[in-house]
Amino acid sequence: MDTTSPRLRMSLLGVVVVACFVALFARLWYLQVMEAPALAVQATANRTRTIATEAPRGRIFDSKGRVIVDNRTSLIVSIDRNALKKVKNRDDLIARLADVLTANGAPIKISTIEKRLADKKADQLQAVPIASDVTEEVIHHLSEYAEDFPSVSYERKTVRVYPYGMAASNVLGYTGRITAETLKSLEPGSDPDGVVKTYQPDSIIGLAGVESTYEKELRGTPGIELVQVDSKNRPVGTESYQPPKSGNDIQLHLDIDVQIRAEQALADRLAVLRGTAQKDGTKRGAPAGSVVVLDPRDGGVVALASQPAYDPQEFANGISQERYLQLQNINGASALIDRSISGQYAPGSTFKLVTATAALSNGLIDGNSSIYDDGVYKVGNPAQEFKNAGDQKNGNINVVRALTVSSDVYFYWLGDRMDGTTLIQDSASAFGFDKKTGIDLPNESAGYVLTKAEKKALHNKYPDAYPNGDWYTGDNVQLAVGQNVVVATPLQIARAYAAFANGGTVYQPHVVWKILKPNSTPTNPNDVIRVIDPVVTGTVTLPPDVRGPIESGLEGVTSGMGTAASAFTGFDLTAFPVVGKTGTAQVDGKADTSLFASYGPANSPKWVVTAVMEESGFGAEASGEVSRHIYELLANQALTGAGSATTGTRD
Amino acid sequence: MLPQSISSRASNRSRRDPTAPLRHLDPVLLGCVVILSIVGLVAVYSATRGPGPDFSKSYLVKQTIFMVIGAGAFGVFAAVDYRKLHDWAWVFYGITTFLLVLVVSPFGSQSHGAQSWFALGPFQLQPAEFSKLSLIGALAFLLSEFRGDIDLRRLVGLLATAGLPMALIMLQPDLGETLILVAISMAILLVGGLPTKYIAVLTIVGVIGVVGALNSPLLAEYQRNRLTAFVNPDDKSNAALYNIEQSQQAIANGRITGQGLFDGPQTKLGFVPEQQTDFIFTAVAEQFGFIGSATVLLLYGLLCYRIWRIAQVAKDSFGTYICIGVLAMFAFSAFENVGMAMGIMPVTGIPLLLISAGGSSTITALAALGLVLNVHMRRFQ
Repeated sequence: MDTTSPRLRMSLLGVVVVACFVALFARLWYLQVMEAPALAVQATANRTRTIATEAPRGRIFDSKGRVIVDNRTSLIVSIDRNALKKVKNRDDLIARLADVLTANGAPIKISTIEKRLADKKADQLQAVPIASDVTEEVIHHLSEYAEDFPSVSYERKTVRVYPYGMAASNVLGYTGRITAETLKSLEPGSDPDGVVKTYQPDSIIGLAGVESTYEKELRGTPGIELVQVDSKNRPVGTESYQPPKSGNDIQLHLDIDVQIRAEQALADRLAVLRGTAQKDGTKRGAPAGSVVVLDPRDGGVVALASQPAYDPQEFANGISQERYLQLQNINGASALIDRSISGQYAPGSTFKLVTATAALSNGLIDGNSSIYDDGVYKVGNPAQEFKNAGDQKNGNINVVRALTVSSDVYFYWLGDRMDGTTLIQDSASAFGFDKKTGIDLPNESAGYVLTKAEKKALHNKYPDAYPNGDWYTGDNVQLAVGQNVVVATPLQIARAYAAFANGGTVYQPHVVWKILKPNSTPTNPNDVIRVIDPVVTGTVTLPPDVRGPIESGLEGVTSGMGTAASAFTGFDLTAFPVVGKTGTAQVDGKADTSLFASYGPANSPKWVVTAVMEESGFGAEASGEVSRHIYELLANQALTGAGSATTGTRD
Repeated sequence: MLPQSISSRASNRSRRDPTAPLRHLDPVLLGCVVILSIVGLVAVYSATRGPGPDFSKSYLVKQTIFMVIGAGAFGVFAAVDYRKLHDWAWVFYGITTFLLVLVVSPFGSQSHGAQSWFALGPFQLQPAEFSKLSLIGALAFLLSEFRGDIDLRRLVGLLATAGLPMALIMLQPDLGETLILVAISMAILLVGGLPTKYIAVLTIVGVIGVVGALNSPLLAEYQRNRLTAFVNPDDKSNAALYNIEQSQQAIANGRITGQGLFDGPQTKLGFVPEQQTDFIFTAVAEQFGFIGSATVLLLYGLLCYRIWRIAQVAKDSFGTYICIGVLAMFAFSAFENVGMAMGIMPVTGIPLLLISAGGSSTITALAALGLVLNVHMRRFQ
């Protein structure tokens, strides 16, 4: 056979060509028929981008329906730092951006942009906000010339507005961008309530205060837009759109008037005292303090002031690292700590409520049991001396008088007699000390009231911090006057006095009162989704023979020979009787912690006011004064009826 | 009366002459060319009009102009007896070879890393495209002269004729066009009676050459990546894969019936690179689905079959070799271009003849088909 025959060779060529076409058909069938569904999924992912629009967060109202946290829209221009690294003429781009911003009503310097880009605190994975509240013109320009601005993005964000400025910042908290870890922990499926709402890497989340604890209510459902993009990632159309849904509004027990008064009185008094000397000559640092105003009838938090304070507005568009550090040191104290719930202080004489209750209810004394107070109480052999503050001698006194004039000797005696028992600790526990109150705010401290066993355990665990593991009579004596072995948060002290005021019911303090529908009118009952009911966490048994003598003793504090009389000079106690107890807790090497725990009006208590001020001196001169200023407002509300909430369910 | 009668007889004869070229047009071939050209215009427009609303018509207008010029070339190459072209084969070969030298000189222009064209106002002239046709002519001339009697000396002459334009094109460099020349040469040498032993040797040398080239510094890294991407489709580090992935997704997106004219999102949004040229098949496949793209492939197959058939019925071996060369040119272009878009062939930029946008390739393709028709029309003369 002639293998060079053109016919044969042509047939061979034909076979090759046919084979090629068969291969093409086979592959075409595979791609367009067999693999098409799988490849189509890839293709869709390829040409669409999901754009989440943050929904406006719910608003926050005070107890009288006033908006204390609101929203507004802000246009924000950001730069993606990772994308910026790949931009060829980086400096040109930044100069161009500065020009556009400046020319369109949002002046900015190149150096400012560089500074924001260099901020180490900003999340490395996310775009850094360069300018906020820019004009619509800027956005128009950037979208029109998108190709000239690689790595630059812009967005419309609703940001928080605080009509009352810094007021209640410690309660309200602030919002900020979600961190990478938080985002991971919130991945769908990890939420036991099954109400996970989509978080995006740049989502805003509540980071402190009510914004944080009620995140689920306040955060809306983001709008999801599926945008079709071309190969250069420019949007060309919308495939689907689900509009954002606002979060629920919430209403607080908080009364913004009382809150502002408490903050103002506290700040003013701290400023007056700062740098002056207390009686023993120690200079008052007066760096910080807090005030708690509770409604003893249900545990509602009417005010929660902490100084120093921060302006939540500073967090609304992202805060600089520099400023953040600054806020952690204002007169030596951090503004980012809510002292009313996180601060732990020796309660000092305010703790005598607990000791007196323990002694009276266990029959150690009755209202008339008296001893002679010569200013000193001796314990043990060789004798250890415990003295009254200022070496005051009170003469023959019973428990009523001892509370009014704050005789330490009388309570040293009670402490001595109860040594070897846990009567004081038990009473403290009944009043809610030694454990968290369960308030609906983050970062609450628990305080402690040590027992013999606990002291031993602490010593064993931390021998350096607690060098002595034995329980001495002196410890019980100190415990009786709220020193050394006991610390409490201002909120715990307030709650104890609230329990005493209402006859023995210990409530879980609550900031939030109601959950309302989005865009609600707080006065409209139809807008209420649910009311947060008061939670009773325990009771203190206070029969008349226990409560009576203590009440009489505390009633005397604000007048006559009472330790807080000076603070209430000129206050109309007949119209609005205030019952309270001063406290002056010693702190080694520093001025005393000034405390005042109180409630009023005495006959039907509506408010508990507790003030605690660091390095500020005697109870009356600092905390008593602050409380008096608050009571002036409260008395006015009570007498004019201005205090009743709009929905009227509080009385 | 007589002169009139003679003249009348003469005219009668011409009208009735069963061997008259115009009586032997190939309607199937013509039909394929017309339909594929129209599909090409639609595909080019859909791939280049952009997402709108201001649709760009510049590619459509240009390609229409090329089609018109190409139609003229088709007419000329069909009308002039191809046997007269026999004597001109070396002139064409000489001109295109000169242009190939000129294009790698400073007179040529560069794009995509290859110096392959001359700028002529708004148009670009790619001599490599024309060299396909002139090489077909030159090899057909030589082999028809050799009449199957090929010794080593003649083989060297044939290889030199084929190798010169290939080498010049590799200088640009343009691997795709070179491979087409290889395919053309191999097909013509095969049918032209090259002894089997030479074919075996050439095949072995060719395989060693390809493997060697892939592993030699002759190819830039990106070229090697493009060429080997289809072998390792999961190598994520290979940037060339992006193009193949996009093009396969676009093809798959067409499904059976297609997304509809101008409705292919991948096409419309410009995800597939070089879509009016190298990846034009994706535009057809996404918009018209399996039904449409298989039809286009069938038309190509039919066209190739007609060319193959004409090669067999050609009156002389010169005509046969020309047809075989054109067949190789069309079949290989289609296989490489469509195969690349579907991920079964290496990525080399060659046009899908008649469909891809491009003046030089369209005009060359139409001129080549004109020659084939020429051979068909004159098979009885």
